[in-house]
Amino acid sequence: MKSRLASLVLLIAAIVVLALLPALVNNYWLRIATGALMWAGLACSWNMLGGYAGYINFGQSAFFGLGAYTSALLMGDPLGLPFFATIPAGIVVTAIFAIIIGAPTLRLRGAYFAIATWAFAEVLTQFVNVVGFTGGIGGLNLPPFLDERFFYFTMFAAAVLTYLVTWALFERSRFGLKVKALRDHEPAAEAMGINTALVKLQTFVLSAVTASVFGSIFAYWVTFINPKSVFGGDITDQMVVMVLLGGLGSLWGPAIGGVGLFVINRLLWMNWGDTAFYIAILGAAIVLVVLFLPNGIAGLFAKRPAESATVLDKAVDKLVGNGEGGHS
Amino acid sequence: MSQTVQAVANDGMRPSGGSILVVRDLYRYFGGIKAANGVNLDVGRREIAGLIGPNGSGKSTLFSLVAGTVKPDRGQIRFDGHEIAGMSAHRIARLGLARTFQIPAMFDNMTVTENLLAGAAQGHWQGAHERAAETLGLLKLVHVADNRASDLSGGQQKLLEFGRVIMRQASLILLDEVTAGVHPNIRKIILEAIARLRERGISFLIIEHDMEMVRNVCDRIIVMDSGRVVTSGSFNDIVRNSEVMQTYLGRPQ
Ligand SMILES: Nc1ncnc2c1ncn2[C@@H]1O[C@H](COP(=O)(O)OP(=O)(O)O)[C@@H](O)[C@H]1O
Ligand SMILES: [Mg+2]
Repeated sequence: MKSRLASLVLLIAAIVVLALLPALVNNYWLRIATGALMWAGLACSWNMLGGYAGYINFGQSAFFGLGAYTSALLMGDPLGLPFFATIPAGIVVTAIFAIIIGAPTLRLRGAYFAIATWAFAEVLTQFVNVVGFTGGIGGLNLPPFLDERFFYFTMFAAAVLTYLVTWALFERSRFGLKVKALRDHEPAAEAMGINTALVKLQTFVLSAVTASVFGSIFAYWVTFINPKSVFGGDITDQMVVMVLLGGLGSLWGPAIGGVGLFVINRLLWMNWGDTAFYIAILGAAIVLVVLFLPNGIAGLFAKRPAESATVLDKAVDKLVGNGEGGHS
Repeated sequence: MSQTVQAVANDGMRPSGGSILVVRDLYRYFGGIKAANGVNLDVGRREIAGLIGPNGSGKSTLFSLVAGTVKPDRGQIRFDGHEIAGMSAHRIARLGLARTFQIPAMFDNMTVTENLLAGAAQGHWQGAHERAAETLGLLKLVHVADNRASDLSGGQQKLLEFGRVIMRQASLILLDEVTAGVHPNIRKIILEAIARLRERGISFLIIEHDMEMVRNVCDRIIVMDSGRVVTSGSFNDIVRNSEVMQTYLGRPQ
């Protein structure tokens, strides 16, 4: 009870500080804060399916990119739609692709889904590279809007909404029970009447459209996108490392990992410019997690024995196909 | 297979119209293994039927076929008036069938209470928290309510597996060796719970090796061997049939 009160106070304090941040720091740091909120949100989006359902997605950047390109195309000539109208459009486009990829593959063992998502991201990148209307390798420009506060607050709202939805849906509702049940034992979940294929698909679509919303905001924010900047495989890699470092399958783990790694990335960049050092840090983070932090950073603070390590076991089981059948 | 056994091979069927489960000519092979090789059996409404037979005779496979976890090669399964052979497991469950797994199928990363609630997450959510608390009490799991399922002892996992099935509010419950290898205290808890559920009119099909338990709870016993039902009858009928006891249980009693 006492610690619940403490975490509530901490949460409210964090939200107040974040809301006041534009008044406290200069534009330079405000940009870093905006990016940190975006990565916290993206890591959370990956964790919805990877952490709560145990299905590993190696192509999440595709949905980030779909949101970015949908907004860029609709805001540009000839339509020139207002920014906020393009976010729902990105959601619809992303949901359609997620259903097309997820419906056939989420019935199978996790490896098929992992390969399908990875292949989808690759194919989409090549497609955007070669076709004309996406600007090819040259990318697209968006109408510039240079208001750092606007983007900070938009990203802030999206991140708060993402975590609120994740908390309500995965930590506090029967939908979350169904998702975690199928992660831990799919045949038993089916035996409880849970339509596991449907629940997985719903979770995947939610995860994908969340990434797409951040893609839309990102595109408008940076005013210029190309296939590498929004579809790049390194975007997915970062989400995965952020979640593993923060704590797979936990609510706050992705926020900790996302903010932590992004801030480290920016500090390195400030001191040494574009350096391969960040990649080394990502690698080191993975080693750190595997050897010393199996439950992630969030696991250090959890009261109950934290579960990220065993959640990862479940995800790996799904990848290699244990746990399906053979349960006599 | 001897003549006597052939002659009674249809005895898994009861000539009663009031069957909740009717299985006819059910086949499922795994490669060369004939796990279900023409199964015929009935379970009556409000009946507690025991299913016995040597290891590998196809008892657990029959459960998986009925519950939809494994698809039959051919044959009919009628549950509560619905033809369910080949139907997906979650649809069969929603019709009111619940089963346990021989190896406890815990939701490892969830607490004991969450495991119970997961049993009610689909369809029976009204009052689920109250029923979970009730079930914790009934199964004497209150003191581990907030523990992770994977941290429970083997016996407690068997209890929890059973508890999840109670939460389903099913009309037919299939129990696969729920009392195997558990402490006598836990066995007693399970027996009492079965008795209370039977009062509510729930039917059971129970795989059980412990003959004492079979004698105490089952109205009728069905004997399986090599993927078929070879005979059925009251406990005394089965025990008196020394040929069945020797051939199929491997120990005269
Ligand atoms: N998924 C499966 N794949 C291959 N063989 C199986 C499978 N499930 C069961 N079997 C085989 O079917 C036979 C019956 O097994 P089972 O139904 O578990 O028997 P019982 O529960 O009566 O001990 C055994 O020979 C077993 O090895
Ligand atoms: Mg068995």
